[in-house]
Amino acid sequence: MRRVCLIASLWILVLCLADSAGGSTFGCLACHSAMKGKIKAEKGLVDVNVDSEKYSQSVHGGIDCISCHKQFGANPHQPQAQGDIPADVAALASNMSHKAKVDPVAVAACAECHGDIYNSWKESIHGMNIIDKKQSAGAVCTDCHGSPHYILPKSDTASPANRVNVVKGCGECHEKEELAKEYGFGTHILERYYESFHGKKYILGHENAPTCVQCHGYHDIRKWDDPKSPVAWDNRMETCGKCHEGATKKFVTAITHKPIGKDNPVPYYFEKGLILLLLGTFLFIVGHVLLETYSEIRDRFFRKGKEEHHE
Amino acid sequence: MNKELPREYLRFNVLERTQHIVLFTTFLLLAFTGWALKYPHVEQSQWWIRMWGGPKTAGIIHRVAGITMLIDFIWHIVYMVRKILSGRIRFHKDTTLIPMPKDLTDAIKNMMYFTGASREKPRFGRFSYIHKFDYWAVFWGMAIIGLSGLFLTFPVEASYLFPAWSVNWIWDMISIMHSDEALLAIVFILFFHFYNEHLKWDKFPMNTVWLTGKITLKEMKHEHPLEYELEFGEKEGDDK
Repeated sequence: MRRVCLIASLWILVLCLADSAGGSTFGCLACHSAMKGKIKAEKGLVDVNVDSEKYSQSVHGGIDCISCHKQFGANPHQPQAQGDIPADVAALASNMSHKAKVDPVAVAACAECHGDIYNSWKESIHGMNIIDKKQSAGAVCTDCHGSPHYILPKSDTASPANRVNVVKGCGECHEKEELAKEYGFGTHILERYYESFHGKKYILGHENAPTCVQCHGYHDIRKWDDPKSPVAWDNRMETCGKCHEGATKKFVTAITHKPIGKDNPVPYYFEKGLILLLLGTFLFIVGHVLLETYSEIRDRFFRKGKEEHHE
Repeated sequence: MNKELPREYLRFNVLERTQHIVLFTTFLLLAFTGWALKYPHVEQSQWWIRMWGGPKTAGIIHRVAGITMLIDFIWHIVYMVRKILSGRIRFHKDTTLIPMPKDLTDAIKNMMYFTGASREKPRFGRFSYIHKFDYWAVFWGMAIIGLSGLFLTFPVEASYLFPAWSVNWIWDMISIMHSDEALLAIVFILFFHFYNEHLKWDKFPMNTVWLTGKITLKEMKHEHPLEYELEFGEKEGDDK
């Protein structure tokens, strides 16, 4: 009987500890891990379900829901719920509310722990476009890192920020026609990267092959003509020099993502010429071999012995 | 009358045979390790490159093989130049490797024979137009692919050589040059050279001249009648 009591009291203790550590998480997930379908919100359909297993395995798995969803601190389902939101997070939330589908406070809450990254991000072309220019185009944390519920360490190949996924991630926006037109970048950039030696090695899994971020930077990414961009003319020698020791001014001008087309005529017509040479040679050798095979069969079987007297 | 005639004729000496062996070993290594990089999107490229130790190791094999091939190429050129300068090779229209007008008419005659338009085979010297085509295709390929490959291996150093006005397109051109010419070389060897030296009726499974350097006099008379006549004289050689 004493043993049973001991086990029971230990179990209660464990439950109490778990409750104080997990806090509201268990409560929220009781419903929010079993929801199917989507809910209609102001800005379209929203999935409010959280895969509790994936959540617990993510690097954020030990964090309470209300650590980020601060405004749900009190009564989560009250329309104008107001939790305990620090002023800076509240200000940031109102600044980037146009990027949030449901909970701008949760979008802004990343900055609370990852303040240094937030500070460099807001200087980036993505951050400035969202915060200063109030545009919807531009990446926030979740656009590149995926849902904070399932966020994985960068070293995990399933993480969208891992090098095996990062190029595709950039392409999500940088291959979009309408964004390209509005912001004046080319949609061919990824294609040209994949055609380059850097890109080909990357596809094959060469661990030294540079992805977009190795040259262009990431959190504080800037346009190439911004003097602070690592691919600005004055910084390129250092950037390229990370791999190509002794990179000179002449060397660093070589890399562009310019498409091979009629406005870049030398490689364009050169390639056309080479293809012509290739096809011409193929035609000759294939024709020659086929004709010779035909004549060999003819000589062996239908002109037996005759071919010896060729003089 | 023909008792003094040897049974075999030495076509390629041991140095020339070594040059050929180094050439084709490095050629195969280069083709195998470079192929996946030409078509990285293709699914099979992934396991193929892993067979060569992954992209990094394959890259090292590719570079080592490339430089070895270039050394072989330079050795061959030095060897040929010395042979010419010392007079061991003298120009003769029936033994030269230099393309001659006769090669064009030989090609046309051969085509006519293949199709049955003519019953007469062209009579070749030491090197037929097929051999010359084979030789110069590889020669040209090594120069173009070797040079562009060197530029790609040492891009920073190569950038010193190019004028400033060319930087916008020269690298695209070099990449295209290296990869398209390599494809040409592979298809050429796989199709033309393999047919002529391995698959042909008389040659199957291979022409052993690459190992022994020798061909029989019968073969020589049949395939290189003009050289045969030059070496052994028309009358003596007629063993019928």
